[in-house]
Amino acid sequence: MSTNYYLPEDSVPLPPKHAEVLTTCCDYCIVACAYKVYRWPLGSGDGGPKASENAFGIDFPSNPLQDWVAPAQHNVVMHKSIPHNVVITPNKDATTVNTNGDSSIRGGLIAQKCYNPKTPTRDRLSTPLMRIYGILQPVPWDFALDVAAEVAKHVIAKHGANAYSVKTYSYQFIENTYAITKYALRHINTASFTFHDTPSDVTSTPGFRDAGFDNFGPSYDDWASADVLMCLGTDPYETKTILFTQHIMPGVYNGMKLIMVNPRETAGVAFAKKMGGLHLDVYPGTDTVLLGAIARIVLENGWQDNEWLKKWVNNKWESNSGFGQGTRNTPWQWRTTWGKFQTKGFEDYKEWLLSQPEYELDKAAELTGVDAAKIRTAAEWIAKPKADGTRVKASFGIEKGFYWSNNTGNTNAISSLATICGAGGRPGQVVGRFGGHQRGGRRGGKLPRNKSPEKVPGRRRRALDTDRWLVSGHTRMAHVIGTTWIQAMSGSQGLQQRFHELVVTNPHQVRTYDKQEIIDTLKARADSGGMVVINQDIYLRNPIGAQFSDIVFPAATWGEEDFMRANGERRLRLYQKFYDAPGDAKPDWWIIAQLAKRMGFDGFDWKNSNDVAEESSRFSRGGRKAYHMLKIYAHRQGRTLHEQLRLLGADGIQGPTFINEKGELKGTKRLHDTTMTAEMIAERYGDNGPGEANMVNKKMTHFNTQTGKVNLQKHPWSLFSDFWTWLKPKDDELWFSNGRINEIWQSGFDDVERRPYITQRWPENFVEVHPDDAKARGIESGDYVMMYSDRVAAQKDTIIGVHNDHFQFSELMKRGHIELSKAAVTAVAVVTPHIKKGMMYANMLDTRQPSNALSARVVDHISGNYNYKMGVAKVQKIGESQYKKEFRSMSFAPRNIT
Amino acid sequence: MTTKHEESAVAHGKCMLNRRQFLLGATSAAATTTTITLFPGTAQAAPVKARVIGYPRKFLAKLSELKDHEPLAFNYPDDGKNTTCTLVKMGNVKAGGGIGPQRDIVAFSNLCTHQGGPLHGTYKVTGDQRTLGQCPFHLSVYDLRRHGIIVSGQAYQSLPQIMLELEGDDIYAVGMMGLLFGRHENLMNT
Repeated sequence: MSTNYYLPEDSVPLPPKHAEVLTTCCDYCIVACAYKVYRWPLGSGDGGPKASENAFGIDFPSNPLQDWVAPAQHNVVMHKSIPHNVVITPNKDATTVNTNGDSSIRGGLIAQKCYNPKTPTRDRLSTPLMRIYGILQPVPWDFALDVAAEVAKHVIAKHGANAYSVKTYSYQFIENTYAITKYALRHINTASFTFHDTPSDVTSTPGFRDAGFDNFGPSYDDWASADVLMCLGTDPYETKTILFTQHIMPGVYNGMKLIMVNPRETAGVAFAKKMGGLHLDVYPGTDTVLLGAIARIVLENGWQDNEWLKKWVNNKWESNSGFGQGTRNTPWQWRTTWGKFQTKGFEDYKEWLLSQPEYELDKAAELTGVDAAKIRTAAEWIAKPKADGTRVKASFGIEKGFYWSNNTGNTNAISSLATICGAGGRPGQVVGRFGGHQRGGRRGGKLPRNKSPEKVPGRRRRALDTDRWLVSGHTRMAHVIGTTWIQAMSGSQGLQQRFHELVVTNPHQVRTYDKQEIIDTLKARADSGGMVVINQDIYLRNPIGAQFSDIVFPAATWGEEDFMRANGERRLRLYQKFYDAPGDAKPDWWIIAQLAKRMGFDGFDWKNSNDVAEESSRFSRGGRKAYHMLKIYAHRQGRTLHEQLRLLGADGIQGPTFINEKGELKGTKRLHDTTMTAEMIAERYGDNGPGEANMVNKKMTHFNTQTGKVNLQKHPWSLFSDFWTWLKPKDDELWFSNGRINEIWQSGFDDVERRPYITQRWPENFVEVHPDDAKARGIESGDYVMMYSDRVAAQKDTIIGVHNDHFQFSELMKRGHIELSKAAVTAVAVVTPHIKKGMMYANMLDTRQPSNALSARVVDHISGNYNYKMGVAKVQKIGESQYKKEFRSMSFAPRNIT
Repeated sequence: MTTKHEESAVAHGKCMLNRRQFLLGATSAAATTTTITLFPGTAQAAPVKARVIGYPRKFLAKLSELKDHEPLAFNYPDDGKNTTCTLVKMGNVKAGGGIGPQRDIVAFSNLCTHQGGPLHGTYKVTGDQRTLGQCPFHLSVYDLRRHGIIVSGQAYQSLPQIMLELEGDDIYAVGMMGLLFGRHENLMNT
């Protein structure tokens, strides 16, 4: 762990001419900026300030925007067991993504990520650990793997595959996610499987999915070419920095207007306002109402894009073709059974929308807390035709603050609003997610949803909720890969308590030196109703690793193995290995393969990560980042898939990939590309259409629906309003929300704790409080506060839904399926006007002070996702922090200074 | 690593504060780190050797002539590239590394440590907060009360802070914390 005693350096070695240069990309946010690694042996001589003396080939002092090395961009690592200097700086040759070598604070500091025992990375896991006599003790790989595999085989044989729960990251490189899902889904075939950010394996954006929008259809330059760009639930400056600084900002300088829907006014929002943009500061969870009100104004004035609606929206008959008929087990089916979402096309949608009382302007202004005039202005900006009658080009981008506050309602609403404005798959008129983590998922198996015990109304089963399953005592072995599980979920203190009961208080604890006795003890724990925990990670996490794990496997990660991954515009690049993993740490694909082989599964005999990547390629066909044709192309050139990607360097290639008739390799700029001409199609696939193994599906030129046209959906407030009304602040409570912050976005897993400069900036959890709310409670910046609640709702039972409203929050409450518990989280107060009055905002995941303790452990009853951003809490001062009086760390300056 | 200019602080005789002490600034915690503290003329000073960098001592301004919130530009540690700096009296708010009776006089590099953007004219007063930025390039903002730490933005380090010394009415620059953008050493033969 790093401390906040950070001392800046005032010199740095420059890479010499003889430094080797490797390309890689940043490990953190969705944008995945291109970086260069300069590597040279320690003591072999550093570079000098003259162009002839350094690897950059430029004179120092360098000029603004030229290459430069900050002290934090240098590190010392082991390469082939010999100490080497590395300098990792943004790739100035990049012509895409971080054009001209721009970088964020997170990527800018990525050299600090490398394991170096002299830095706060010294506690990287470097050997397998096993809890013996209560202590996690180093053991050899074979010993740890044998025990884990024996216990796993027993648990699965005796308690069923669903007793073996796999909770894993979804993004940490294609090779690893393929191996993990092949193991968990194809071979173990457990329904108790999910990713790091959701209790069940379900889509993050149900509205997009059902409307037919891919999350990541647009290209980065598409976001710069609208007349108006609406950003919801995120400040892209803070959380996809380079998408903002290299694409959106230039768009704004060219006249694009920004509408920021966000209860906070951070730097990008302040910039938008300064440039004439609009800030719609909604109360948490009310976006659906805001968008309903905007849509209503658009429709009342007839500003909708009729031409688009006619051509690209399903009418009554098209809506009913392919779903909604009978009881097929499709994601759509049970919703349409309800009649809550499906429309018979535009006129039906319009009639429905105009009949919703909450979407009348005054009512919406009251519910959302947004000034009515601003709502009207937003509607005019995105849809009112220009004086010459031509349409405004509007684009719509969303992220977590939006889709994790009313998951289904919000994503349905934005899909419909975007569609009536004519957005979707054309330059300057796109819809998508801006993105969170990078896209490194590749499934090697399918979730056996029919093995889930939970049934929703209609006949459809819903993906198993791994948290509720565990709380109910059905999970006998938990396999946790690269996530905290507990703090990353909602109502997390209750979840942690249950882990403790199942693991720590169980009488069957390892108190022996004998391998067979260890195995027998852990089997006995599982059989007695307890739980065994195995954990793969790069650091020992508390509590999942430190308190609950029986076995810990040390993982090798970024820079320690060749890996591939895509970014938020489906751009695939190779992340090269450039140094030795610490100690005996191994990549996750290797760990999984060793376990799988011991469990008797075939198909895990990979020699290296390229073998895994190549095996996985055929499963990518038809997907948004399909790289199968890239592999075929590589083989034709006598190369491996990884070698081909290495040659493609900083700019990589955008999936899906194709080989055209001339044998040329082609990528894909945008999905749902409704403006593609015959010539463009011929260029990509050839005159006679896609041949060979090329796979072209609807999403290339149409939308992801039964007809290829968009499903225009209703977005009723009533499905969410009972929860919202129950939750909204009572008495002295404030809204409590949480999220990422620029300095630690998608990098918190190793950044905030181990990057001295970041630790200095954010030494612990913070909470932003509006000055009026703070004053009323006697709170000043720098005070320690306790945020607490005695009504953290948790859904406790797995139920069989029969009637339409069985999963509705008020019905769950009435029928006794909701349990209220208490939670308390401390933080350092930041009193600032950039947060909306009446709400608080804290860091989403400080593992010591987990914000999610205060959000409800009740899933969106349509999708199965948590609405992590929805909580309420009281807050009181409990003392003063050191940061109030000293000047070394933190900052209490507001984030909206322009 | 590259060679650093090392010498005895005592011999140098000009640097009032070592770097660590400077960082600790106005806190009472300074007392815990006095093992290498160097106060010329005090008992501790004589035998202690510590590494300080051989920065020049440069006269900047007269305290009596400084006006609140009126930044003064100067070059430091030399007149070469990337040495543009700002001295400012921040109007009776105490700052880390601040000098003067109110400890409100500070000086920083004027180049954003992200990509060298010019921060001239971006000094802001917001309540009792004092900042430089947004940088015109990529919107970084720095906190002048807290050693130039990033408030919001993309820099890889705090804004380099110039260590100041007050002798009578004269303000001198005597050292620098952090590396100037574009340089690999602050003291270059440019």
